[in-house]
Amino acid sequence: MADTAPPASPPDGVPPDAPPEAVPPDAAGPQAATSETVGPEDGAPRERDVTLRMEHASIAYGDVPVLEKIHGIVHPGEAVALIGPNGAGKSTLIKAILGLVPVVRGRIEVLGRTPALARRDVAYVPQADTLDPDFPVSVEQVVMMGRYRKIGWLRRPGRADRTAAAEALEQVGLTQRARHRFGTLSGGQRQRVLLARAIAAQPRLLLLDEPFNGVDAVSQHALLEAISVLKGRGASVVISTHDLAIAHLACEEVCLLNRYQFGFGPAEEVLTPECLRATYGGHALELRGDRVIVAQS
Amino acid sequence: MNWFDSAMHRALLEAALVGAMGGVVGVFVVARRLSFFTMALTHATFPGIVIAALLGINLLLGGGVFGLLIVAGVVMLGRGRGQDFTAATGVALAGGFALGVVLISAQSGFTKDLTAYTVGDILTVDTFDLATTAAVTCVVLLTLAMLGKELLLRAFDPDGAAAAGLPVVLLDLALLALVEMAVVATVPALGAILTLALLVGPAATARLLSDRLALLFPLAAAIGVACGLAGIWISMVADVAAGASIALLVGAVFAVALLLRRGVRRPRRSTALSGAD
Repeated sequence: MADTAPPASPPDGVPPDAPPEAVPPDAAGPQAATSETVGPEDGAPRERDVTLRMEHASIAYGDVPVLEKIHGIVHPGEAVALIGPNGAGKSTLIKAILGLVPVVRGRIEVLGRTPALARRDVAYVPQADTLDPDFPVSVEQVVMMGRYRKIGWLRRPGRADRTAAAEALEQVGLTQRARHRFGTLSGGQRQRVLLARAIAAQPRLLLLDEPFNGVDAVSQHALLEAISVLKGRGASVVISTHDLAIAHLACEEVCLLNRYQFGFGPAEEVLTPECLRATYGGHALELRGDRVIVAQS
Repeated sequence: MNWFDSAMHRALLEAALVGAMGGVVGVFVVARRLSFFTMALTHATFPGIVIAALLGINLLLGGGVFGLLIVAGVVMLGRGRGQDFTAATGVALAGGFALGVVLISAQSGFTKDLTAYTVGDILTVDTFDLATTAAVTCVVLLTLAMLGKELLLRAFDPDGAAAAGLPVVLLDLALLALVEMAVVATVPALGAILTLALLVGPAATARLLSDRLALLFPLAAAIGVACGLAGIWISMVADVAAGASIALLVGAVFAVALLLRRGVRRPRRSTALSGAD
């Protein structure tokens, strides 16, 4: 369902072919339907909770704007795919949702709180190949890292932490590799271990940065399965990816990004040839009207 | 006669303490690839110690304060974008050492000679030095034990640590300060140049022998202690410099571990190759 407001008309500098209204207008919807400030902990039932709310958010490193006017909402149990070319700002948006990069205009709210205050309920899955494969750490130790914030300072993992870590590892199908060194696993398996680490943290919002890059079919299947289990438990998921097919498969919503937001809404409505061509600035080829190939430059 | 009255006994105890501390701290130094930074730290501590000697204040205090300035500087540089961390560290290394030499050479009639600061003199450590080393060792090991899992996450996955809400800058500062304390406590025994041997060698050796983090700490500490004690014994028997003997032993043990590991690996690799052929 399209609980999103369309982006405001783009400012100067937007490519002329950018569609100003990529999403069916539904501006009256979300703000009216949900409370802005009440956290979900109070348990008060409401029409629909919001996990992630972005309101015309602009994000910048210092003086350099990276993303402008990002606008959309993610509900519990929903997944949104961030799609756009390299350097479009997908990773930056994930960092902003983590509160690691400042929002200079507009705002981003996670579970009714500022991103920095919501980190306990948010788990982040980095790209496996950004981590040192020589690091002397075992698979089970990596998964246990997901429990560190719940364990707290100066304390050691308890029985509940070990159980949670073991279950998380089982969910990604790597129980038998628990004692292996992290770096000895394949890229796809390492990515699954990192997802297990996030699952062990029992997040309400899961952020994955390019989780399917260089991942074999078996691991891709295991990742998708585990993500859908998390969604079934009411967690929201944000996945940055190049893979339109996976976006279709795993996500209800799609956010097209290339410095500006070129669309945010249900996959079938947003993944149109027009929107993709606009997002990729001419690097998208249309095949027979309804299929699109995106060429990475 | 008191056990501590013997220079030999004091030297042995000092060597065991700095060996154990260097080994444990070294596991983090190696895991975070801080070897070069630690080398700069040892050399930058040197002018601090010289200044303290000239002013007649505690040497460890002088070295410690100077080293903390370096730590703060490196953390700040590390946060800036586009800064060449390695280059800045290299400049600090040479500059710090040069400053120490200039200060010493400008001082005529200065009692302690340069070599005592550069390669150390473990046989002259007194009871106060020992007590200081023991206290620093306790503080460093306790702090590492308390912050262990957070430091581990920060070392393994910097972005993940920040994403989990850990105060990463404070953690970095804490780790560098611990390395600095270990350096300052080790410098009187091994000197500014040789201290690096105990802070990197045992941990690097342990890393060659095991992939398991939990084993690395006791293994590195044991290697450090063994090299320290054996080095003192060799220096007594062969009448050679104690600090250099320790550093040489550390190097030799590392070389043996490297050969052992190669030996273990080669058969596997050759079968894999023949299979591929």
